[in-house]
Amino acid sequence: MFDLLPHILNGLTLGLLFALIALGFMLIVGLMEQINLAHGSLFALGAYFAMQLMGPRPPFPADLAQSWLALPLGWRYAATLILAPAAVGLVGIAIEFCMRRTYGKDPLYGLLLTFGAAMVIEEMIRLTWGTRDYVLQVPQAVNGGFIFGDLIWSTYRFYAAGIAAAVIGLVWLLIEKTSFGATVKAGAHDSEIVRALGINLTRLRLLVFVFGTMLAAIAGIIVAPIWGIRPHMGVDAVIPAFLVIVLGGVGSFWGAVVAGLLVGLAVGLSGAYASEWSLLSMYVLLVAVVTFRARGLWGKKSVLEA
Amino acid sequence: MIPAPQSDSARLITPTMLVLGLVLATVPLWIARVGLYPYLGIEILIWSLYALAFNLVLGTAGLPSFGHGAYFGIGAYAFGLCQFNVVANLWACLAAAFAVAGLAGALVALFISHRRGIYYAFMTIAFGQIFWTVAIKSHKVTGGEDGLLKIARLPADFGFASFDLAGNVAFYYFVLIVFGIAVIALWRLVHSPYGRVIAAIKQSETRAAHLGYNVWLYKASIFVLSAAVSGFAGGLFAMAQLAAFPDVMSLHQSGYVVMMTLVGGGLVSFWGPVIGVFLFLIARDVIGAMTNAWMLYFGLLFIAVVLFRPEGVAGAIMAAWQNRSLNSMRQQGGTALRLLFGGGRWR
Repeated sequence: MFDLLPHILNGLTLGLLFALIALGFMLIVGLMEQINLAHGSLFALGAYFAMQLMGPRPPFPADLAQSWLALPLGWRYAATLILAPAAVGLVGIAIEFCMRRTYGKDPLYGLLLTFGAAMVIEEMIRLTWGTRDYVLQVPQAVNGGFIFGDLIWSTYRFYAAGIAAAVIGLVWLLIEKTSFGATVKAGAHDSEIVRALGINLTRLRLLVFVFGTMLAAIAGIIVAPIWGIRPHMGVDAVIPAFLVIVLGGVGSFWGAVVAGLLVGLAVGLSGAYASEWSLLSMYVLLVAVVTFRARGLWGKKSVLEA
Repeated sequence: MIPAPQSDSARLITPTMLVLGLVLATVPLWIARVGLYPYLGIEILIWSLYALAFNLVLGTAGLPSFGHGAYFGIGAYAFGLCQFNVVANLWACLAAAFAVAGLAGALVALFISHRRGIYYAFMTIAFGQIFWTVAIKSHKVTGGEDGLLKIARLPADFGFASFDLAGNVAFYYFVLIVFGIAVIALWRLVHSPYGRVIAAIKQSETRAAHLGYNVWLYKASIFVLSAAVSGFAGGLFAMAQLAAFPDVMSLHQSGYVVMMTLVGGGLVSFWGPVIGVFLFLIARDVIGAMTNAWMLYFGLLFIAVVLFRPEGVAGAIMAAWQNRSLNSMRQQGGTALRLLFGGGRWR
C-alpha cells in the first residue's frame, strides 16, 4: 500500500490537471450545449502566447519590451497569466461570432465548425512558431523539487494542482453562487423566458464562450511546463477534455471533476505498471462506464444525445 | 402508352453511375496531362469507397462515428497479415480485410449500439483510439509506427485468366471495377427495405422502436456493415500503398473522412461522400503543391461550408439542379424532362 502512495498522489495531481483542462470545455457544453472542438487549439494557443510573453522577444514595441523585460520573472509570470488568456479570449470572440449561426440547429454543426477552427488554429501555430518544442519559463519559487519521505517530488506539479483546484473552486462559485451564474444557467434551461425577462442572451452566450476559451488558455499555461509546448499539444488536450466530460456526464460540474480525478488516477496507476499502455487506460475506463451508464457518471438530459 | 417514370432508387444501375463510370474509365488517359498522376486516381477511388461506407453510418443512419479510421486501418493490416501468414491470394486477402474489420466493428457495436448522440460519438472515438494504440504498440504484428511493409499487389486470378496488378494503370482499373460493384451494392442496400428502416431510425429512434423494429439490431448491423466495407477499402489501400501504416487509424484521419463526407454533402445525397473525396484529395495535391499550409485553407473552406452550405456541395448542386429542371420544365412543359430529371437522381 505504501508503495502505491506516490502513484496515487501523482495520479491525483494529474487528475486535477485533467479536470482543469476539461473545465472550459465543460462550461460551454453544460451552459450552451455546444461542443467546442477548438478547445485544444485554444489551450495550445494560450501556452504559445505565454511562451512568447515570457520569452526573450515579447510582442511589444521596443521601449515597452525593455521595461517588460526589466520586470522580475514572478511579476511577468503573473501578468502573463492574465494577458495570454485575454488574447485567446479575442480568438474566442471570433469563433463565437461564427458559431452563432449554428445555434438552434443540430449540435453536430457547432462541433464541425469548431473542428474546422481547430484545424485552422493548429496550422497557424505551425506557420508562426514551426514544429519544434518550446519550454515555458516559470518563476524559481515553483520550479525544482523537494524531498519528502525519501522521494523527490516536483514542486511545479503541486503548484499546478493547487492552481487547478483553486480555478475549479472559483468557477464553481461563479456558476453556483452569483447572479451571473444563475442567469446563465437559466438561459441554458429556457432561453425564451430569459429573453422575455429582458436579458441579452446573445451577449450572455458570448460571455460564456469567451470565458470557456480563457479557461482553456489558463489550462494551457499551467500544463505547458509539464507537457512541453508543441503544435500537437492541442489534440493531446482536447481528447482527454472531451473524455472527461462524457465520462462525468454532460451538464454535471462535479461529475466532470470526479471524472478528471478518475482519469488521472487511471493514467497514473497504469503508468506505474505498464507505461506503454497507460494512455489506453482512460479509454477503457470510459468504455467501462458508458457501456453501463447511459449518461456517464451523473449526466443530465440534453440535446446532445438526441 | 408511356411507362411511368421509374425512380432511380428502384434501379440497379442509375444514369449517374453510368456517366461517372464512363468518366472514371477514361481517367488514366488524361490524368497525367493535367498535371496529376495515376496514383491519385487510385487513391480517390479507394477513399470514395471508404467514405461511402462511412456514410452508411453517418448519413444513412445518422450515427456520429468519429473513429472510423480504425476499421479502414484494420482492413489494411488484415490484408497484409493474410498475405504473409495465411495465403497470398487476392480474393482471400480482400475477404480477410472485409471480415476482420467487420468483426472489429461487431465488437464495438456490442458496446455502443444502445447509446446515442455525444455518448455514442465519444465511444466510437475511444474505440478508435484503442485500436490505434494497439496498432502502434504491437511492433511484432503490425510493425509499429514503421508500418507493415512489403505488401504486394497480388495478381487477380479468375481461374481462366490472371491479371497482373503491379502497374498503377492496371491496378486503377481493378479498383474501378471493384468500386463499381460496391457502389451498386451500396445503392441497393440504401434503397432496400432494410435501408428504409435505417433511415427511419435516423429520423426518430423512438418512433421506429414503437413500430416494432429492433432498433439495437439495426444500429449494430449497419455499423458492422460499414466497418466491413471500410476494411475492404483498407485492404485495397494496403495494396495501393504496398504497405499498411497506423496513421490512417489516428483521430486526425478519422476526422478527415467525416470532413470529406460532409463537405461533399453526405447528409443529403448518396454521392456526397464521393464529391467530398474528389475535392479533398485534389485540393490536397493542388493547394499542397503551392503551399505547405493546405490544411489551413481547407479548414477555412470547411468552416465556410458548415456556415453557409451545411448540406454540402451535393446539397448545393441539388438545389441548383432542381431550380434549373423546374425552369426548363416550365418552358418546355415536357414529360421527357421529368423523365430525365425527375427521378430524384441525386438522392
